[in-house]
Amino acid sequence: MSRNFLETETPAWVAEGLITEAQRERLLARYPSEAVQAVGLLPLLGSILVGLSALSVVAANWQSLPTPVRLGLLLGSLLAAYAGGEYFLHRGNRRVGHGLLGLGLVIFGASIILTSQLYQLVGYDVSGLLAWVVVGVLLSYLYDSQALTLLPIIIGVAVQTYCTQALGVFSYATLGLVALGSGWRWWRPAAGREPDTLVASLLALSLLWQAALWVALSHAKITWFFIPAMLVYAAGDWHPNRAAGRALQGPPLVAAYLFALGLALFGETDQYAGLLRPPVLAYLGALAAVLALSVAGKRARGTLASLPDWLLLLPGFYLPGGLPLAVATLVVLYAHAGSVLTRAHRAGEAEQLTLGTVLFVVATMVAYFKLTWAFLDKSLFFLIGGVLLLSLSWYLRRRNAQRLAAGVATVTGGAVAPEPNSRPPAANS
Amino acid sequence: MRRPTPSHRLLLRLLVAAQVLYVLGVAGAGYATTAYGQHIWLATQPVDLHGLQYESFVRLRYTAAEVPLTAWRGPTPPQRRQAVYVLLTTAPGPDSLATATGVYDHELKPAAGQAVLRGWVTEVYNRSLSLRYNLERYYVPGDSPLRLGKTSPAVRVRVSVAPWGQARIERVELLKK
Repeated sequence: MSRNFLETETPAWVAEGLITEAQRERLLARYPSEAVQAVGLLPLLGSILVGLSALSVVAANWQSLPTPVRLGLLLGSLLAAYAGGEYFLHRGNRRVGHGLLGLGLVIFGASIILTSQLYQLVGYDVSGLLAWVVVGVLLSYLYDSQALTLLPIIIGVAVQTYCTQALGVFSYATLGLVALGSGWRWWRPAAGREPDTLVASLLALSLLWQAALWVALSHAKITWFFIPAMLVYAAGDWHPNRAAGRALQGPPLVAAYLFALGLALFGETDQYAGLLRPPVLAYLGALAAVLALSVAGKRARGTLASLPDWLLLLPGFYLPGGLPLAVATLVVLYAHAGSVLTRAHRAGEAEQLTLGTVLFVVATMVAYFKLTWAFLDKSLFFLIGGVLLLSLSWYLRRRNAQRLAAGVATVTGGAVAPEPNSRPPAANS
Repeated sequence: MRRPTPSHRLLLRLLVAAQVLYVLGVAGAGYATTAYGQHIWLATQPVDLHGLQYESFVRLRYTAAEVPLTAWRGPTPPQRRQAVYVLLTTAPGPDSLATATGVYDHELKPAAGQAVLRGWVTEVYNRSLSLRYNLERYYVPGDSPLRLGKTSPAVRVRVSVAPWGQARIERVELLKK
């Protein structure tokens, strides 16, 4: 809560008798003025500037420095960063301590790259950089820190990208380290902590990126991408914490939705659909196995209501290209948007309602765009389209408002009823 | 607030020591490649020095990076991005340049007067193959004659190939005419 907010709002709270003046002062004392924090940033900014100047001096003269000096500089800064991190952690300053440890990890990676460059040495496989991922994962287990958990996930993406692009091989070890090492680190946080949702989403993104690299490298049909992607989704179904599981499922769902949207927009050319068709039995078998895993997870965690997410994975691209495919995909998009809306209505979640509305409007736009462009004059097309969208959004908004108002009424009605002597709120505010 | 316990700090120290040893190991591999490796001279196209104003490296285009398709020795046609082993033959004499005589899809033992360099297929043309050795970037040291700024000099490159397959550029020399 910001200090400014407290300073402007609390006098009214005292006036209304919500809190006493003494309590107000204690609350304000709890959140020190931001001016103090800004002053606290100055040494940090100063040291960043000093560090940058040292870095530029070294970088400018790097090629003329003798080899032992260069090696010494790399190892020295590596040791200094880790020692500094340990020192600050010992003094109880976790943020700076973890930051310096992360810096040490980054310097380790830079040292590997710069040392092989120092000797003009060629690496033919990933083993050189794999050590970087290994150390990153190990370090994340030693400390309870979001930044240190995120670093190996990001490093894994960098190493895998380098590996597939420069060396032409896919590093299964890197994928395994990120999926199992960082994955387990996120799955089981330190005692008394909730699993981090930001880490979950970035972990899923990292795995999806690596899956995409694998598909590109192996020249497989791009639809194979959805097998690993939906495995990530199914893992989210098994997670005991609902919010963390949903955060892991976000990226795979977005990918599946964008794919379905693309199919609805461009699927009518058979040539494009042909690029998407993997061998029927192998693909459907793999997809069914992942679906079974996901359903089992949903059943175990009692979240079967989210099963319609899988509508997006219906392999419509096996249909003959052309209008049937486009129409079938549109039906799926509508069914999916409808399922999101129904679920949100049942649970009374405002954010899900908004999401469902947006999905519904997008599906309508695509349908209109696909089906009427050919038959209508352009100005008429835009006019009707605009009116259609406006009225649709008005209708959906009205329904949402009614639904939320009904929800609020039942909640407050239930809470107020057993308390007849509660004080009416003050008229002036 | 949880402070690190002594066993935590010990683990961190072990991890840091392992990192230092690893970086030293990479440096050691660099030394060892020169000390125990095979040394060959490779010819290049004239080097474009323009990039040196902005970057610390130049791009070397090896003559051995373009080989005729007849040099391909594999059961299936070569594919882009495929990893290959290039057999280089040197004529007798300490200063003679090596030429690519065969491109294989599997590892092989070089005979006397031969060396094997690993590489990747970058492009397959009708009659030739274009290869990449990952030795194309040469980080020019501060005292290199390349820094003296003659435009597009002809050079030859001294490459060491370690018995375990790693390779490095030892030095680059201007070709005397």
